[in-house]
Amino acid sequence: MTHLPYILASYGLAGSLAVILSVGAALRLKRDRVKLASLEAARGRSQGGKRA
Amino acid sequence: MKRKTRRLWLVIACVAGLGTAAGLTLSAFSSNIQLFMAPSQVVDHPPAADRTIRLGGMVVAGSVKRERQGETPINLFQVTDGQAAVTVRFEGILPDLFREGQSVVAVGSLEPDTTFVASEVLAKHDETYMPKEVAEALQKSGKWNPKFGPPPDAASWNAMTGKDTAAGKN
Amino acid sequence: MNGRTLSATPTLTERAGALFHRYANPGRFLRLGDRIQPWLTWSAVIITLIGLSWGLFFSPADWQQGDSVRIMYVHVPCAWLSSSGYFALAVCSVLSLVWKHPLADLAAVEIGPVGACVTATCLATGSLWGKPMWGTWWVWDARLTSVLVLFFLYLGHIALIHAFDDQQRGYRAAAILALAGAVDLPIIKFSVQWWNTLHQPASITLTGAPTMSQTMLWPLLISTLGFTLGFAAIVVARLRAGVMESRIRSLLSSPRRASSGEASA
Repeated sequence: MTHLPYILASYGLAGSLAVILSVGAALRLKRDRVKLASLEAARGRSQGGKRA
Repeated sequence: MKRKTRRLWLVIACVAGLGTAAGLTLSAFSSNIQLFMAPSQVVDHPPAADRTIRLGGMVVAGSVKRERQGETPINLFQVTDGQAAVTVRFEGILPDLFREGQSVVAVGSLEPDTTFVASEVLAKHDETYMPKEVAEALQKSGKWNPKFGPPPDAASWNAMTGKDTAAGKN
Repeated sequence: MNGRTLSATPTLTERAGALFHRYANPGRFLRLGDRIQPWLTWSAVIITLIGLSWGLFFSPADWQQGDSVRIMYVHVPCAWLSSSGYFALAVCSVLSLVWKHPLADLAAVEIGPVGACVTATCLATGSLWGKPMWGTWWVWDARLTSVLVLFFLYLGHIALIHAFDDQQRGYRAAAILALAGAVDLPIIKFSVQWWNTLHQPASITLTGAPTMSQTMLWPLLISTLGFTLGFAAIVVARLRAGVMESRIRSLLSSPRRASSGEASA
Protein backbone atom coordinates (compact mmCIF):
# COMPACT_ATOMS: atom_id res chain seq x y z
CA MET A 1 0.00 0.00 0.00
CA THR A 2 1.14 3.52 -0.73
CA HIS A 3 0.98 6.19 1.97
CA LEU A 4 0.70 3.51 4.64
CA PRO A 5 1.78 5.70 7.60
CA TYR A 6 -0.93 8.26 6.82
CA ILE A 7 -3.59 5.56 6.42
CA LEU A 8 -2.58 3.81 9.64
CA ALA A 9 -2.54 7.10 11.54
CA SER A 10 -6.05 7.95 10.32
CA TYR A 11 -7.59 4.59 11.13
CA GLY A 12 -5.66 4.37 14.40
CA LEU A 13 -6.88 7.79 15.49
CA ALA A 14 -10.51 7.04 14.66
CA GLY A 15 -10.32 3.60 16.30
CA SER A 16 -8.71 4.81 19.49
CA LEU A 17 -11.17 7.68 19.86
CA ALA A 18 -14.07 5.24 19.41
CA VAL A 19 -12.59 2.92 22.06
CA ILE A 20 -11.92 5.77 24.52
CA LEU A 21 -15.45 7.19 24.10
CA SER A 22 -17.24 3.86 24.41
CA VAL A 23 -15.18 2.56 27.34
CA GLY A 24 -15.66 5.90 29.08
CA ALA A 25 -19.42 5.75 28.56
CA ALA A 26 -19.59 2.12 29.73
CA LEU A 27 -17.64 2.84 32.92
CA ARG A 28 -19.76 5.89 33.65
CA LEU A 29 -22.97 3.86 33.19
CA LYS A 30 -21.70 1.14 35.50
CA ARG A 31 -20.66 3.60 38.21
CA ASP A 32 -23.93 5.54 38.03
CA ARG A 33 -26.03 2.40 38.12
CA VAL A 34 -24.30 1.20 41.30
CA LYS A 35 -24.59 4.60 42.93
CA LEU A 36 -28.25 5.06 42.00
CA ALA A 37 -29.11 1.57 43.27
CA SER A 38 -27.40 2.20 46.62
CA LEU A 39 -29.10 5.58 47.02
CA GLU A 40 -32.51 4.15 46.20
CA ALA A 41 -31.94 1.24 48.55
CA ALA A 42 -31.01 3.66 51.32
CA ARG A 43 -34.11 5.73 50.66
CA GLY A 44 -36.23 2.60 50.54
CA ARG A 45 -34.91 1.53 53.96
CA SER A 46 -35.50 4.88 55.59
CA GLN A 47 -39.02 5.22 54.16
CA GLY A 48 -39.83 1.54 53.80
CA GLY A 49 -42.91 1.68 56.04
CA LYS A 50 -44.45 4.69 54.35
CA ARG A 51 -43.93 3.52 50.78
CA ALA A 52 -45.19 -0.01 51.25
CA MET B 1 -48.63 28.22 27.08
CA LYS B 2 -48.75 31.47 25.10
CA ARG B 3 -45.22 31.99 26.39
CA LYS B 4 -43.94 28.91 24.62
CA THR B 5 -45.33 30.08 21.29
CA ARG B 6 -43.79 33.48 21.86
CA ARG B 7 -40.43 31.94 22.73
CA LEU B 8 -40.57 29.83 19.57
CA TRP B 9 -41.13 32.90 17.40
CA LEU B 10 -38.40 34.75 19.25
CA VAL B 11 -35.95 31.92 18.55
CA ILE B 12 -36.98 31.77 14.88
CA ALA B 13 -36.61 35.56 14.52
CA CYS B 14 -33.17 35.55 16.17
CA VAL B 15 -31.88 32.72 13.97
CA ALA B 16 -33.28 34.41 10.85
CA GLY B 17 -31.70 37.73 11.81
CA LEU B 18 -28.37 36.16 12.59
CA GLY B 19 -28.45 34.15 9.36
CA THR B 20 -29.13 37.29 7.33
CA ALA B 21 -26.32 39.15 9.08
CA ALA B 22 -23.88 36.32 8.47
CA GLY B 23 -24.96 36.05 4.84
CA LEU B 24 -24.49 39.77 4.23
CA THR B 25 -21.10 39.78 5.93
CA LEU B 26 -19.89 36.80 3.92
CA SER B 27 -21.08 38.23 0.62
CA ALA B 28 -19.41 41.56 1.46
CA PHE B 29 -16.09 39.82 2.14
CA SER B 30 -16.60 37.26 -0.59
CA SER B 31 -13.51 38.20 -2.59
CA ASN B 32 -11.33 37.92 0.53
CA ILE B 33 -12.65 34.44 1.26
CA GLN B 34 -11.58 33.18 -2.16
CA LEU B 35 -8.49 31.07 -1.73
CA PHE B 36 -6.92 31.91 -5.07
CA MET B 37 -7.07 34.22 -8.10
CA ALA B 38 -7.67 32.93 -11.60
CA PRO B 39 -5.04 33.60 -14.31
CA SER B 40 -7.43 35.91 -16.19
CA GLN B 41 -7.87 38.04 -13.05
CA VAL B 42 -4.10 38.18 -12.60
CA VAL B 43 -3.62 39.20 -16.25
CA ASP B 44 -6.39 41.83 -16.16
CA HIS B 45 -5.37 43.38 -12.85
CA PRO B 46 -1.72 42.50 -12.22
CA PRO B 47 -0.96 42.70 -8.50
CA ALA B 48 2.09 44.56 -7.19
CA ALA B 49 5.32 42.59 -7.56
CA ASP B 50 5.92 42.43 -3.81
CA ARG B 51 2.45 41.13 -2.98
CA THR B 52 2.11 37.43 -2.25
CA ILE B 53 -0.92 35.97 -3.97
CA ARG B 54 -2.30 32.54 -4.70
CA LEU B 55 -2.84 31.63 -8.31
CA GLY B 56 -5.18 28.76 -9.14
CA GLY B 57 -5.93 26.97 -12.38
CA MET B 58 -5.27 24.00 -14.59
CA VAL B 59 -1.77 23.03 -15.71
CA VAL B 60 -1.69 23.43 -19.50
CA ALA B 61 -1.00 20.18 -21.36
CA GLY B 62 2.52 20.06 -22.78
CA SER B 63 3.68 23.17 -20.91
CA VAL B 64 5.66 21.49 -18.12
CA LYS B 65 9.44 21.86 -18.40
CA ARG B 66 11.65 20.37 -15.72
CA GLU B 67 15.25 21.45 -15.36
CA ARG B 68 17.89 20.91 -12.78
CA GLN B 69 20.14 23.53 -11.28
CA GLY B 70 22.62 21.53 -9.21
CA GLU B 71 20.49 19.79 -6.61
CA THR B 72 17.26 21.77 -6.87
CA PRO B 73 14.75 20.90 -9.56
CA ILE B 74 13.31 23.88 -11.41
CA ASN B 75 9.82 23.52 -12.83
CA LEU B 76 8.26 25.77 -15.42
CA PHE B 77 4.64 25.35 -16.39
CA GLN B 78 1.60 27.34 -17.47
CA VAL B 79 -1.60 27.66 -15.49
CA THR B 80 -4.86 28.51 -17.21
CA ASP B 81 -8.51 29.11 -16.43
CA GLY B 82 -9.54 28.77 -20.07
CA GLN B 83 -9.29 32.50 -20.76
CA ALA B 84 -5.70 33.39 -19.95
CA ALA B 85 -2.52 31.55 -19.07
CA VAL B 86 0.26 32.52 -16.68
CA THR B 87 3.73 30.97 -16.66
CA VAL B 88 4.77 29.69 -13.24
CA ARG B 89 8.33 29.04 -12.10
CA PHE B 90 8.81 26.88 -9.05
CA GLU B 91 12.02 25.65 -7.46
CA GLY B 92 11.48 22.51 -5.46
CA ILE B 93 9.67 19.19 -5.42
CA LEU B 94 6.14 19.16 -6.79
CA PRO B 95 3.38 17.27 -4.91
CA ASP B 96 2.42 13.71 -5.93
CA LEU B 97 -0.80 14.76 -7.61
CA PHE B 98 0.89 17.33 -9.87
CA ARG B 99 0.47 16.53 -13.56
CA GLU B 100 -0.61 18.18 -16.78
CA GLY B 101 -4.34 18.76 -16.73
CA GLN B 102 -4.42 18.87 -12.92
CA SER B 103 -5.70 21.89 -11.02
CA VAL B 104 -3.06 23.50 -8.85
CA VAL B 105 -2.74 26.45 -6.49
CA ALA B 106 0.61 28.26 -6.59
CA VAL B 107 1.66 30.63 -3.80
CA GLY B 108 4.03 33.40 -4.82
CA SER B 109 4.21 36.74 -6.58
CA LEU B 110 4.04 38.06 -10.11
CA GLU B 111 7.35 39.33 -11.48
CA PRO B 112 7.44 42.39 -13.78
CA ASP B 113 8.09 40.07 -16.76
CA THR B 114 4.71 38.41 -15.98
CA THR B 115 6.17 35.10 -14.80
CA PHE B 116 4.74 33.96 -11.53
CA VAL B 117 7.47 32.88 -9.13
CA ALA B 118 5.98 30.35 -6.74
CA SER B 119 7.34 29.50 -3.32
CA GLU B 120 4.84 26.67 -2.88
CA VAL B 121 2.71 24.61 -5.25
CA LEU B 122 -0.35 22.73 -3.98
CA ALA B 123 -2.19 20.16 -6.08
CA LYS B 124 -5.96 20.45 -6.03
CA HIS B 125 -7.85 17.20 -6.20
CA ASP B 126 -11.18 17.14 -8.00
CA GLU B 127 -14.32 15.37 -6.86
CA THR B 128 -13.79 12.31 -9.07
CA TYR B 129 -12.82 9.07 -7.39
CA MET B 130 -11.93 6.44 -9.95
CA PRO B 131 -10.17 3.07 -9.69
CA LYS B 132 -6.86 2.74 -11.49
CA GLU B 133 -8.12 0.07 -13.90
CA VAL B 134 -11.00 2.26 -15.02
CA ALA B 135 -8.73 5.24 -15.62
CA GLU B 136 -6.40 3.09 -17.68
CA ALA B 137 -9.26 1.55 -19.65
CA LEU B 138 -10.77 4.97 -20.35
CA GLN B 139 -7.46 6.29 -21.60
CA LYS B 140 -6.77 3.20 -23.68
CA SER B 141 -10.15 3.40 -25.35
CA GLY B 142 -9.49 7.06 -26.16
CA LYS B 143 -12.56 8.28 -24.29
CA TRP B 144 -10.54 10.51 -22.03
CA ASN B 145 -7.14 12.10 -21.81
CA PRO B 146 -6.33 13.35 -18.30
CA LYS B 147 -4.15 16.10 -19.80
CA PHE B 148 -7.15 17.89 -21.25
CA GLY B 149 -9.62 18.04 -18.41
CA PRO B 150 -11.90 16.16 -16.08
CA PRO B 151 -12.99 12.58 -16.79
CA PRO B 152 -16.44 11.74 -18.20
CA ASP B 153 -19.46 11.26 -15.99
CA ALA B 154 -19.21 8.44 -13.45
CA ALA B 155 -22.44 6.91 -14.75
CA SER B 156 -20.71 6.20 -18.06
CA TRP B 157 -17.95 4.11 -16.46
CA ASN B 158 -19.62 2.67 -13.38
CA ALA B 159 -20.79 -0.40 -15.29
CA MET B 160 -17.21 -0.79 -16.44
CA THR B 161 -16.00 -0.65 -12.83
CA GLY B 162 -17.98 -3.71 -11.84
CA LYS B 163 -16.78 -5.77 -14.77
CA ASP B 164 -13.22 -4.58 -14.57
CA THR B 165 -12.69 -5.06 -10.87
CA ALA B 166 -14.45 -8.43 -10.94
CA ALA B 167 -12.16 -9.58 -13.74
CA GLY B 168 -9.09 -7.65 -12.66
CA LYS B 169 -9.05 -8.65 -9.00
CA ASN B 170 -6.43 -11.29 -8.43
CA MET C 1 -44.28 21.22 35.09
CA ASN C 2 -46.72 21.68 32.26
CA GLY C 3 -49.55 19.25 32.91
CA ARG C 4 -52.41 21.37 34.12
CA THR C 5 -51.74 24.40 31.91
CA LEU C 6 -53.07 22.63 28.81
CA SER C 7 -56.02 24.67 27.61
CA ALA C 8 -59.14 23.37 25.89
CA THR C 9 -57.96 24.16 22.36
CA PRO C 10 -54.26 23.40 22.22
CA THR C 11 -52.16 25.37 19.75
CA LEU C 12 -49.61 23.74 17.51
CA THR C 13 -46.74 24.64 19.85
CA GLU C 14 -48.64 23.17 22.79
CA ARG C 15 -49.34 19.95 20.97
CA ALA C 16 -45.74 19.66 19.78
CA GLY C 17 -44.58 20.29 23.35
CA ALA C 18 -46.92 17.66 24.74
CA LEU C 19 -45.59 15.20 22.18
CA PHE C 20 -41.99 15.80 23.24
CA HIS C 21 -42.93 15.44 26.87
CA ARG C 22 -44.77 12.23 26.22
CA TYR C 23 -42.06 10.52 24.19
CA ALA C 24 -38.90 11.98 25.64
CA ASN C 25 -39.27 12.34 29.36
CA PRO C 26 -36.19 11.14 31.23
CA GLY C 27 -37.83 8.14 32.90
CA ARG C 28 -39.28 6.87 29.66
CA PHE C 29 -35.99 7.53 27.91
CA LEU C 30 -34.13 5.43 30.49
CA ARG C 31 -36.40 2.44 29.89
CA LEU C 32 -36.28 2.87 26.09
CA GLY C 33 -32.51 3.40 26.17
CA ASP C 34 -31.92 0.22 28.16
CA ARG C 35 -33.76 -1.71 25.50
CA ILE C 36 -32.21 -0.22 22.35
CA GLN C 37 -28.64 0.16 23.63
CA PRO C 38 -27.38 -3.38 22.80
CA TRP C 39 -28.93 -3.27 19.32
CA LEU C 40 -27.45 0.13 18.63
CA THR C 41 -24.01 -0.78 19.93
CA TRP C 42 -23.63 -4.12 18.21
CA SER C 43 -25.05 -3.03 14.86
CA ALA C 44 -22.65 -0.05 14.98
CA VAL C 45 -19.66 -2.29 15.70
CA ILE C 46 -20.52 -4.82 13.00
CA ILE C 47 -21.47 -2.33 10.28
CA THR C 48 -18.42 -0.14 10.95
CA LEU C 49 -16.12 -3.15 10.81
CA ILE C 50 -17.66 -4.26 7.51
CA GLY C 51 -17.45 -0.77 6.01
CA LEU C 52 -13.89 -0.04 7.11
CA SER C 53 -12.44 -3.43 6.19
CA TRP C 54 -14.13 -3.19 2.81
CA GLY C 55 -12.59 0.25 2.43
CA LEU C 56 -9.15 -0.84 3.65
CA PHE C 57 -8.75 -4.17 1.88
CA PHE C 58 -11.33 -4.73 -0.83
CA SER C 59 -12.05 -1.37 -2.46
CA PRO C 60 -9.78 -0.31 -5.31
CA ALA C 61 -7.02 2.27 -5.04
CA ASP C 62 -7.69 5.59 -6.76
CA TRP C 63 -5.94 6.22 -10.07
CA GLN C 64 -4.32 9.42 -8.76
CA GLN C 65 -4.38 9.17 -4.99
CA GLY C 66 -3.28 5.56 -4.79
CA ASP C 67 -4.13 3.95 -1.46
CA SER C 68 -4.43 7.24 0.41
CA VAL C 69 -8.02 7.35 -0.90
CA ARG C 70 -8.76 4.90 1.92
CA ILE C 71 -8.47 7.75 4.42
CA MET C 72 -11.75 8.95 2.92
CA TYR C 73 -13.66 6.06 4.54
CA VAL C 74 -12.84 7.60 7.94
CA HIS C 75 -12.70 11.27 7.00
CA VAL C 76 -15.99 11.66 5.14
CA PRO C 77 -18.24 9.89 7.71
CA CYS C 78 -16.62 12.02 10.44
CA ALA C 79 -17.18 15.16 8.40
CA TRP C 80 -20.86 14.38 7.83
CA LEU C 81 -21.29 13.42 11.48
CA SER C 82 -19.65 16.59 12.73
CA SER C 83 -22.29 18.63 10.91
CA SER C 84 -25.26 16.42 11.71
CA GLY C 85 -24.12 16.17 15.35
CA TYR C 86 -24.11 19.94 15.55
CA PHE C 87 -27.53 20.01 13.91
CA ALA C 88 -28.76 17.67 16.67
CA LEU C 89 -27.25 20.08 19.20
CA ALA C 90 -29.17 22.96 17.60
CA VAL C 91 -32.42 20.95 17.72
CA CYS C 92 -31.80 20.24 21.42
CA SER C 93 -31.26 23.97 21.91
CA VAL C 94 -34.63 24.84 20.38
CA LEU C 95 -36.33 22.19 22.55
CA SER C 96 -34.53 23.59 25.57
CA LEU C 97 -35.14 27.29 24.91
CA VAL C 98 -38.76 26.99 23.77
CA TRP C 99 -40.14 24.00 25.64
CA LYS C 100 -37.65 23.90 28.55
CA HIS C 101 -37.33 20.21 28.01
CA PRO C 102 -35.06 18.64 30.67
CA LEU C 103 -33.94 15.75 28.44
CA ALA C 104 -32.88 18.18 25.70
CA ASP C 105 -30.51 19.91 28.13
CA LEU C 106 -29.01 16.60 29.24
CA ALA C 107 -28.67 15.52 25.59
CA ALA C 108 -26.88 18.77 24.71
CA VAL C 109 -24.36 18.13 27.49
CA GLU C 110 -23.61 14.68 26.08
CA ILE C 111 -23.65 15.43 22.34
CA GLY C 112 -21.10 18.26 22.66
CA PRO C 113 -17.97 16.26 23.61
CA VAL C 114 -18.75 13.41 21.20
CA GLY C 115 -19.30 15.89 18.37
CA ALA C 116 -16.04 17.67 19.22
CA CYS C 117 -14.15 14.35 19.06
CA VAL C 118 -15.68 13.53 15.68
CA THR C 119 -14.84 16.99 14.33
CA ALA C 120 -11.27 16.68 15.60
CA THR C 121 -10.97 13.31 13.82
CA CYS C 122 -12.34 14.88 10.65
CA LEU C 123 -9.76 17.67 10.80
CA ALA C 124 -6.87 15.36 11.67
CA THR C 125 -7.62 12.74 9.00
CA GLY C 126 -8.15 15.53 6.47
CA SER C 127 -4.73 16.87 7.36
CA LEU C 128 -3.22 13.39 7.05
CA TRP C 129 -4.70 13.15 3.56
CA GLY C 130 -3.76 16.69 2.61
CA LYS C 131 -0.07 16.33 3.36
CA PRO C 132 0.68 13.63 0.76
CA MET C 133 -2.00 14.72 -1.75
CA TRP C 134 -2.15 18.51 -1.73
CA GLY C 135 1.34 18.96 -0.40
CA THR C 136 0.30 20.76 2.79
CA TRP C 137 -1.15 19.84 6.19
CA TRP C 138 -3.37 22.88 6.32
CA VAL C 139 -4.56 25.74 4.17
CA TRP C 140 -6.87 28.56 5.19
CA ASP C 141 -9.54 27.96 2.58
CA ALA C 142 -13.24 28.42 3.24
CA ARG C 143 -14.03 24.73 3.85
CA LEU C 144 -11.19 23.98 6.24
CA THR C 145 -11.66 27.23 8.14
CA SER C 146 -15.41 26.80 8.53
CA VAL C 147 -14.93 23.26 9.91
CA LEU C 148 -12.30 24.58 12.32
CA VAL C 149 -14.87 27.17 13.43
CA LEU C 150 -17.32 24.30 13.99
CA PHE C 151 -14.74 22.59 16.20
CA PHE C 152 -14.33 25.76 18.28
CA LEU C 153 -18.11 26.08 18.51
CA TYR C 154 -18.23 22.58 20.00
CA LEU C 155 -15.46 23.50 22.47
CA GLY C 156 -17.25 26.74 23.37
CA HIS C 157 -20.47 24.84 23.95
CA ILE C 158 -18.74 22.36 26.26
CA ALA C 159 -17.08 25.16 28.22
CA LEU C 160 -20.21 27.29 28.46
CA ILE C 161 -22.58 24.55 29.57
CA HIS C 162 -20.42 23.91 32.64
CA ALA C 163 -19.44 27.53 33.26
CA PHE C 164 -22.25 28.54 35.61
CA ASP C 165 -22.94 27.50 39.19
CA ASP C 166 -26.61 27.59 38.31
CA GLN C 167 -26.95 24.66 35.92
CA GLN C 168 -30.06 26.11 34.24
CA ARG C 169 -28.20 29.27 33.25
CA GLY C 170 -25.42 27.16 31.73
CA TYR C 171 -27.96 25.19 29.68
CA ARG C 172 -29.52 28.42 28.47
CA ALA C 173 -26.28 30.13 27.50
CA ALA C 174 -24.98 27.02 25.74
CA ALA C 175 -28.27 26.59 23.88
CA ILE C 176 -28.06 30.16 22.58
CA LEU C 177 -24.47 29.56 21.45
CA ALA C 178 -25.39 26.29 19.72
CA LEU C 179 -28.28 27.93 17.91
CA ALA C 180 -26.23 30.94 16.81
CA GLY C 181 -23.42 28.64 15.69
CA ALA C 182 -25.82 26.69 13.47
CA VAL C 183 -25.23 29.49 10.92
CA ASP C 184 -21.89 27.76 10.29
CA LEU C 185 -23.58 24.59 8.98
CA PRO C 186 -24.76 25.99 5.59
CA ILE C 187 -21.42 27.80 5.30
CA ILE C 188 -19.58 24.48 5.64
CA LYS C 189 -21.91 22.78 3.18
CA PHE C 190 -21.76 25.43 0.47
CA SER C 191 -18.23 26.77 1.07
CA VAL C 192 -16.89 24.66 -1.78
CA GLN C 193 -19.51 26.11 -4.17
CA TRP C 194 -19.60 29.73 -3.11
CA TRP C 195 -15.85 30.29 -3.06
CA ASN C 196 -12.88 28.67 -4.67
CA THR C 197 -11.14 26.39 -2.22
CA LEU C 198 -8.36 23.83 -2.20
CA HIS C 199 -10.83 21.31 -0.81
CA GLN C 200 -12.64 19.41 -3.54
CA PRO C 201 -16.40 19.91 -4.06
CA ALA C 202 -18.85 17.26 -2.93
CA SER C 203 -18.78 13.98 -4.88
CA ILE C 204 -22.15 12.89 -3.55
CA THR C 205 -24.97 15.39 -3.94
CA LEU C 206 -28.73 15.23 -3.73
CA THR C 207 -29.14 16.74 -7.18
CA GLY C 208 -26.66 14.88 -9.36
CA ALA C 209 -25.17 11.44 -9.84
CA PRO C 210 -22.15 10.73 -7.64
CA THR C 211 -18.77 11.35 -9.28
CA MET C 212 -17.34 8.39 -7.44
CA SER C 213 -16.91 4.83 -8.55
CA GLN C 214 -19.53 2.50 -7.08
CA THR C 215 -16.75 0.28 -5.78
CA MET C 216 -15.76 3.16 -3.49
CA LEU C 217 -19.22 4.53 -2.88
CA TRP C 218 -20.55 1.38 -1.20
CA PRO C 219 -17.87 1.04 1.49
CA LEU C 220 -18.19 4.79 2.10
CA LEU C 221 -21.95 4.59 2.63
CA ILE C 222 -21.63 1.53 4.87
CA SER C 223 -18.90 3.19 6.95
CA THR C 224 -21.09 6.26 7.26
CA LEU C 225 -24.02 4.17 8.49
CA GLY C 226 -21.73 2.43 10.99
CA PHE C 227 -20.21 5.68 12.27
CA THR C 228 -23.66 7.23 12.61
CA LEU C 229 -24.94 4.26 14.61
CA GLY C 230 -21.78 4.41 16.72
CA PHE C 231 -22.30 8.12 17.38
CA ALA C 232 -25.90 7.40 18.38
CA ALA C 233 -24.85 4.47 20.59
CA ILE C 234 -22.26 6.55 22.45
CA VAL C 235 -24.63 9.50 22.86
CA VAL C 236 -27.45 7.24 24.10
CA ALA C 237 -25.10 5.54 26.59
CA ARG C 238 -23.80 8.88 27.86
CA LEU C 239 -27.31 10.28 28.01
CA ARG C 240 -28.51 7.30 30.08
CA ALA C 241 -25.64 7.97 32.45
CA GLY C 242 -26.53 11.67 32.43
CA VAL C 243 -30.16 10.96 33.33
CA MET C 244 -29.06 8.69 36.16
CA GLU C 245 -26.62 11.32 37.40
CA SER C 246 -29.32 13.98 37.46
CA ARG C 247 -31.46 11.56 39.46
CA ILE C 248 -28.59 10.94 41.83
CA ARG C 249 -28.18 14.69 42.23
CA SER C 250 -31.83 15.21 43.02
CA LEU C 251 -31.83 12.26 45.45
CA LEU C 252 -28.79 13.66 47.22
CA SER C 253 -30.20 17.18 47.42
CA SER C 254 -33.61 16.08 48.71
CA PRO C 255 -33.19 12.67 50.31
CA ARG C 256 -36.47 12.96 52.19
CA ARG C 257 -38.75 13.37 49.19
CA ALA C 258 -40.43 10.18 48.05
CA SER C 259 -39.81 10.78 44.35
CA SER C 260 -37.55 13.07 42.39
CA GLY C 261 -39.46 15.60 40.34
CA GLU C 262 -38.43 14.54 36.89
CA ALA C 263 -38.92 10.82 37.34
CA SER C 264 -42.65 11.23 37.85
CA ALA C 265 -43.57 13.25 34.75
